[in-house]
Order: sequence, then structure tokens, then C-alpha cells
Amino acid sequence: MAVLAQHRVTHSRAYRLRKLRGSIFFWFVLGLFIIFATFPVYWMFITTFKEVNDLYNLQNNPLLFHLPPTLDQVRYLFEQTNFAVWVQNTAEVGLTVVLITVLVCVPAAYVLARTRFPGSGSLGIGIFLTYLVPPTLLFLPLSQLVAGLGLVNSKWSLALVYPTFTIPFCTWLLMGFFKGVPREITEAARVDGCSRLGAMFRIVLPLSVPGILTICIFAFTLAMQEYVYALTFVSSSDEKMITLGVVTDLIRGDVFFWGSLMAGALIVSIPVAIVYNLFMDTFVRGITGGALK
Amino acid sequence: MAEIAQRRSIGLSATGGWIGHLLDSEKVFGYVLVAPAIAYIVLLVGYPVAIALWFTVSNSTVAHPISDFTGLRNLQAVLDDDIFRRALANTFIFTLASQALQMVLGTILAFILLRPFRGRPFARALIMLPFTIPVAIGAMAWTWMLNPTYSVINWMGVHAGLFTEGPNWLGEEYPAMISIILVNVWRNLPFTAIVLTAGISSVPQELIEAASLDGANWWVKWRKVMTPIIAPILYIALLFSLVFTFTDMTVVWLMTRGNPVGATHVIASYAFQTGVVAGALGRGATMSLFLFPVLLVGALVILRNLKARTLD
Repeated sequence: MAVLAQHRVTHSRAYRLRKLRGSIFFWFVLGLFIIFATFPVYWMFITTFKEVNDLYNLQNNPLLFHLPPTLDQVRYLFEQTNFAVWVQNTAEVGLTVVLITVLVCVPAAYVLARTRFPGSGSLGIGIFLTYLVPPTLLFLPLSQLVAGLGLVNSKWSLALVYPTFTIPFCTWLLMGFFKGVPREITEAARVDGCSRLGAMFRIVLPLSVPGILTICIFAFTLAMQEYVYALTFVSSSDEKMITLGVVTDLIRGDVFFWGSLMAGALIVSIPVAIVYNLFMDTFVRGITGGALK
Repeated sequence: MAEIAQRRSIGLSATGGWIGHLLDSEKVFGYVLVAPAIAYIVLLVGYPVAIALWFTVSNSTVAHPISDFTGLRNLQAVLDDDIFRRALANTFIFTLASQALQMVLGTILAFILLRPFRGRPFARALIMLPFTIPVAIGAMAWTWMLNPTYSVINWMGVHAGLFTEGPNWLGEEYPAMISIILVNVWRNLPFTAIVLTAGISSVPQELIEAASLDGANWWVKWRKVMTPIIAPILYIALLFSLVFTFTDMTVVWLMTRGNPVGATHVIASYAFQTGVVAGALGRGATMSLFLFPVLLVGALVILRNLKARTLD
């Protein structure tokens, strides 16, 4: 009996040791992944709040503050650069893109999700495949189109072009939301004499408000972080949107204003990162056209 | 209830009139409501693609967009361009290398994130960060981390005793290529991991337990039980990530501009350099066109998958 008990103790100790070792290994690997993912963000953060003398002093350990943190770089960003203008441009263009996207996507997604007419399936897939056409294939012809419309070097060229990717993405996301509203509800309304349009406006749309708000958020953030079209169509500083402004305008010749550049980067990243984290599953569903449940 | 609906419908027919009536045909209703989306896409995607095709066989430049037909001269010029050939090879190297790394690391990460542990939602949010930050911003942060003078990576490497000085990451050919691959992996790893976690958690637990009871080790379980089930999802997600990496120019453009001496260009960045910076629309568009075959294959596979899913 005693022998047996002792045996059990040693067994469980070995087991516990193995488990401990496994658990240490687990946290170690997880830690490595987290460091890899977050270090650049930490680096943006520390660069933003460092004194210039500290930042460019090679004798210092760059990972730590050697002088007290400062808001100088942030202040420089707002006072000495066009940052405030870029924020305003982003708001104007972003909201225009949202408006166009909603006006175009809501009806399209509604009929593609809820009615069947000849060609509806192919049209839906066609819209989705547009999402695969990259800016790098379209920027040259679109630059000529933009020039033809007299929108060279104007932020409104972006408001015109960005819906080419927000429409496919948002239409597919919305289709998912609209499919979620039970058919019986609209059928009942139709039997009671409600027209198709009436059923859409009075029954399905009110139930899909969360879906519509989601696509508004995505349309805005997709527009806000775009780079290739912005770089192609807009060159003067006061027409730039925030992402392009931050990555191009804080460089004078060969001199990078790293402190304020990273401050701007941080300010752009935080809202976008929060939104995408909250809507991660929806976003991935949008990208993959619902391949993931 | 019915009474309310009836009253509403009376209200509508009074205001809606004949338009509401016409739209009651399922066909008319469908076409009218989908028309704006189709129009937008035809005008701003379809038409530009047609212009791009014209550019490839003409001598258009930014200064003279109205141009003459020159046949395959652009194609000839592009194929004779050493930097372009290098860019073509780089595009494949960067895409495949980052895909491969993402697959391996993504699988490990997916299993980590599936294990319940304290603080998992927080850890997950941190790991997702690279994917949620705008690409251009992420690339800029890395450019600063790899700065020739102030590189924090080199500082850490030197202090960890890995090297005495550290390479000029973005200024030398191979370190620059490694940096670009690294940033692509950094950016897309969360996406791959998310897709994999979704796939793995859709595998019925009974199957895995049954395999365990039969004495299967983790490799057999992964290879023979899970992989076949998650393959279709994985496949489609990979394809997206492949297409996006293949056609992207942001990372290369911001980090190296294709330098040193054109050694790190990809198709997209060199097309930008040629078509936008140098203004040779014809040659630039011809370069972009090389993205097309891969896109087409990607689109066809995704199409087949979508059709298969909408049919069942």
C-alpha cells in the first residue's frame, strides 16, 4: 500500500514536471509571437514620445527613455505640418466614400441576397471578383481617367475611385446580413399588400441597421488607409489624406522626421486597429466572401 | 397585425404610385437596384482595364496620352529590361517565401490561440495588430527599425552578440530582400492564423478523440484528420493572401523603392516607377499586365469554390 502510494507520488511529480515544462515552452513561444507582432508598435510609441536628443543619441539604449517623455513631436505634427488638413481631408473624402458605398451597395446587396432574377448569381460573383482587381493594375488607366475629369491632384479623385474596392467588399458583407433576415417576414408583408420596395424599406432595412453601420465603418477605414491610388493621384500636401500625408510629407529630401512621422503613424493606427479588432471576424468574412463561417 | 400591414400598404400605394407598381416585377426590381453597382464597376474598373490594354499596345506617355498603335514593341522593351526580369522573379520569390513562412508559423500560432489560457482575448488582440494597422504605416515603422544608422534591430543584435555591426538592411541586396519578406510575413501572419483557427475549430472534436484513442500522434492527427477537413477553407484564404501579396507594391515602394539598383523591385512597384514616376504609360501598363495571369487563375479557382458553395 505504502509502496503504491509512493509510486503514485513520483509518477505525478514527473507528470507535473512534464506539464510545467510544456507550459513554460507554450508561454515562451506565445511570447515570441507577441513580441514579433507588437514590437514595431512599441517602437512607434517610444519614438513618438522621445526627446530628439535622446532619439538620435547612439550611446543610449534605444528601448528606454533617457530623458523624460515629451509631447514635442506630437505638437510639431499638429503645428508645423499639414496634419490637421489631412485629418479634415480624410473626414471629407471618407464620408463621401461611405455615402456612395451605402447608396450603391444597399440596393444591390438587397436584391442579390433576396430575389432571384436571370443573371443574379453571376452578377453577384462578378461584383465579388472585382475585389481581386488590384490598384496596381488600375492606377495607370485611372490616372488618365482622373485627368480627363479635371481631378488631377485633387482629393475628390480618391472619393471617386475608392468605391471601386469598397463596393465589392461591402456588397458581399451586406448580402450576408440581408440573408440573415428570415424570408417569412417579408413574405408575410407582401401577402398583406406591401410592395417590394416597401418590404425593403420598412422591414428588412430597419432590421439590418447593424450591418449597414458595419459597412460604413469598413468603407471609411478602407478609404482612410489606402496608399497606392493616393500616391498616384495626389501630390500636393494640402490635398492629401492622412495615411499618405504621414508617410510622404514628413520626409524632406533625405531627412526623415522620425519622431513626428511615428506620432502620425500612431494616431492613424490606433483607431483603425481598434475597429478592425472589434470587427475582425466580419472583416475576414468580407475578404474571403464568406468562405469562413 | 394584418390590419396594420394593410393600412401601411394603403399609405404606400398612395405615395409610391406607379413606380412602386413597376418595381413589383421581380425582374425589374432586381435589375434597377443592382444597376448602380454594375454601372460603377463597369465605368471605373471595366473601362480602365480596357484603357490599360490599349496602353500596352501603344506609345502613350503622360505627356501624350493620345497615341499610336505600336503592336508588341512595349512587350519587347519590357522583356528586354533586366530590372523588369528581376522584378518578375522577385515577385514570385517574395510571394512564395512569405506564403511558406506564414503557413508554418500560422499553423503554430493557430494551435496556440486555440488553447484556452488566461488573457487569451488580449493576447489575440496583440497578435492581430500587424494586420489591423494600415500597410503603409507598418512598412514605415519597419523602415525606421531597419534604418542604416539607428536600426534598433542591429542594436539588439549587437548587444545579444549576434553580429558586431549588423547589415545595412535596406541598402544591401539580400538583407533588403529578407526585410521585405519579413514585413510581408509580419503583416499577413495574423490573417493566416485566423483562417487556420477557424478551420481547425470546425473539425469535429469526436474525430480527433477517436484518432487519439486509436493511438494517433499529433502529426498523424494533423495530417490525416484535420488537414483534409480544413483544406478547402485554407485553400481559399491562401489564395486571397497570395493575390494580395503578389499584387502589392506598398511594402517595396516605401521600404526600398526597388533599390539597391533595382534589385528589390516587384512587378507592381516597377510598373509604378515606369508608368507614374517616369510617365511611360505604355510600358508601365504592360508590366502591370504581368500580374494578370496569376489574378486570373486565382479568380477562376475562387469562382469555382463560390459556385460550389452557392449551389448547395
